[in-house]
Amino acid sequence: MTPTATSPTDRARREWFLIRFSWHMQDFPQKQYRQIKRDLRQELTTAGADVGMRHAVADLGRPRTLADGYIAELGRPVPRWTTGAVAAGLAVLFIVYLGVAYAIGTVDTLEAMGGGTVTTYPFGAETIFTSTTDGISVQTQLSAAGTSFFLGVAAVTFTLGSRLWRAFG
Amino acid sequence: MPDRDPQLLKGVLPMLVLLLLTEGESYGYELVTRLQAAGLTDIAAGTVYPVLARLEREGQVSSRLVASSSGPARKYYRPTADGAAELTAALRGWDHLSDTVRAVLDRAATPKEQ
Repeated sequence: MTPTATSPTDRARREWFLIRFSWHMQDFPQKQYRQIKRDLRQELTTAGADVGMRHAVADLGRPRTLADGYIAELGRPVPRWTTGAVAAGLAVLFIVYLGVAYAIGTVDTLEAMGGGTVTTYPFGAETIFTSTTDGISVQTQLSAAGTSFFLGVAAVTFTLGSRLWRAFG
Repeated sequence: MPDRDPQLLKGVLPMLVLLLLTEGESYGYELVTRLQAAGLTDIAAGTVYPVLARLEREGQVSSRLVASSSGPARKYYRPTADGAAELTAALRGWDHLSDTVRAVLDRAATPKEQ
């Protein structure tokens, strides 16, 4: 008898589950994760042939719960690198947003006062806000203190978001 | 069937998996159905696969792919020598725990004489 091929619909159902599962396993040790994914694809294909792919996928439960099961069996907490990177990125973007909002507010104030130039030194970086009838401008420069501040914020949020200490636990 | 604390099963599931695989090698989904047939009717593949993955990672079970005439190749698992030793130790531990729990339960069920 010829082995039954998995139908395109069943393949799509299986792969969609594996994609969602991958999302929750992205911080799992990659070498082990690749083996688990291979095995899971194999088991889903096998179970799908036995009881139907819909039933086989349903029997695995929610992808997140399954991923939690694998992480629990790892026997040690796993750092959440992706969460840490996203947290650090968002924190830096938020500070940039605050800086831009401050710059716009300063230039608007200058404009309301009839124009002019003001110079400030946030984190030691000379920053010149100008508003004239010809236009507006903001000039700044990189400073060691400013760079350290950004790196510090990124490092702290990455550490907290990724639970970095788990890597050494 | 009375509700069962999932934590109770979690502790003994690796032992049951090793025991069933000792009785006969199985592929993952077949093992799930064997556990269900043994009385763990509510156990799901999503509970068993992570345990199988750990047992294989720790060298307690080995696997081999077997071609099937009626479907995809199946990955069959069976205990290794380490797995057999682990099973022996787990069964001994279970017997000891079971005896202890039973003794405590029996004592609690027996009315005290005044």
